[in-house]
Amino acid sequence: MAVDRSDPPLAASEAETLRAYLDYHRDTLLMKTDGLTQEQLSRTHPPSELTLGGLLKHAALNDDWWFCRVFGGRDTEPDWVPAGAFDEDDDWELHSAKDDRPEELRRIFDSARAAADAAIDRGLAAGGLDATSSMPSRREGTPFSLRWVVLHMIEEYARHNGHADLLREAVDGQVGE
Amino acid sequence: MSRFPRTDPPPASDEAGMLRAFVDFYRATILRQVEGLTDEQRAATLGPSTLTLAGILKHLTLVEHGWFRMALHDLPDAPWVGDGYESDPDWDFNSAVHDPWELLVSRFEEAVAESDAILDAALATPEGLDLVAEQEWHGMHVTLRWILVHLVEEYARHAGHADLIRESIDGATDL
Repeated sequence: MAVDRSDPPLAASEAETLRAYLDYHRDTLLMKTDGLTQEQLSRTHPPSELTLGGLLKHAALNDDWWFCRVFGGRDTEPDWVPAGAFDEDDDWELHSAKDDRPEELRRIFDSARAAADAAIDRGLAAGGLDATSSMPSRREGTPFSLRWVVLHMIEEYARHNGHADLLREAVDGQVGE
Repeated sequence: MSRFPRTDPPPASDEAGMLRAFVDFYRATILRQVEGLTDEQRAATLGPSTLTLAGILKHLTLVEHGWFRMALHDLPDAPWVGDGYESDPDWDFNSAVHDPWELLVSRFEEAVAESDAILDAALATPEGLDLVAEQEWHGMHVTLRWILVHLVEEYARHAGHADLIRESIDGATDL
């Protein structure tokens, strides 16, 4: 499946710039995981235990957690997380991805992205990037601004794409931004 | 304990304050990822990638100069670059493995201090984050807003590379 990635605009508003960078990194992760078999998506690059499939499922969980739950206030797991999944394994999403077919991982990713984008739309319409999260920061005890959540997700995606760069190069030699 | 202090970005802040907090967080993160290693460890690779921790730190030093000195103000690159790139387009990555730790750190910290001074002055202009860079980049002029968001993702992506390389050197994670 080809991935259509756009470069962020060089001169745009704050919200447009941040959303474009978020999408750029979501699409980058799709590019880094595109065209691989379930076995290739499940390979590690020791000593790290990370896999490309695991990163895809982890990114979906993060999009859901930060935008739909922390910011949006939904208090249930997304429908693709089985009941009790995290009871025995805090890193369930990273480890269970090896049992998912590539199309299923992509479906999970796309559905989390769409739900997260809907939450961002609602937040921007309600209060712009100063809109505050439903759940407060555990450390500070005060809510996160939508500005913080989007920037955090940009750095979260970008850092994992750094992991994906090295994992993909180890799988089939493919490199590039 | 690291000698490089690091502060988590605040949950709420204005646009410039939040961007600077994330950039500063990653400037400290990169230093922590390269800290506490021998010359040999800083030059180690996690094949098949040829990246090294020393190379990433030197590259990011020149990224700082590239966006603030060169793009924003059309000033020349740092004098210590010399004709390094004439024989090797990846001179920053490749030459770093011969640089001692204190030199890598002092050049990085000088670059960051200079970037911050340029940034302070730029943010004090009426244009602020909409200020347009003097030098073209790929035939276009970027804004200061674009530069700061780009720096967050550039640093974070290289921190991702550094995560796996560092883990392969001494098992350290979450630095």
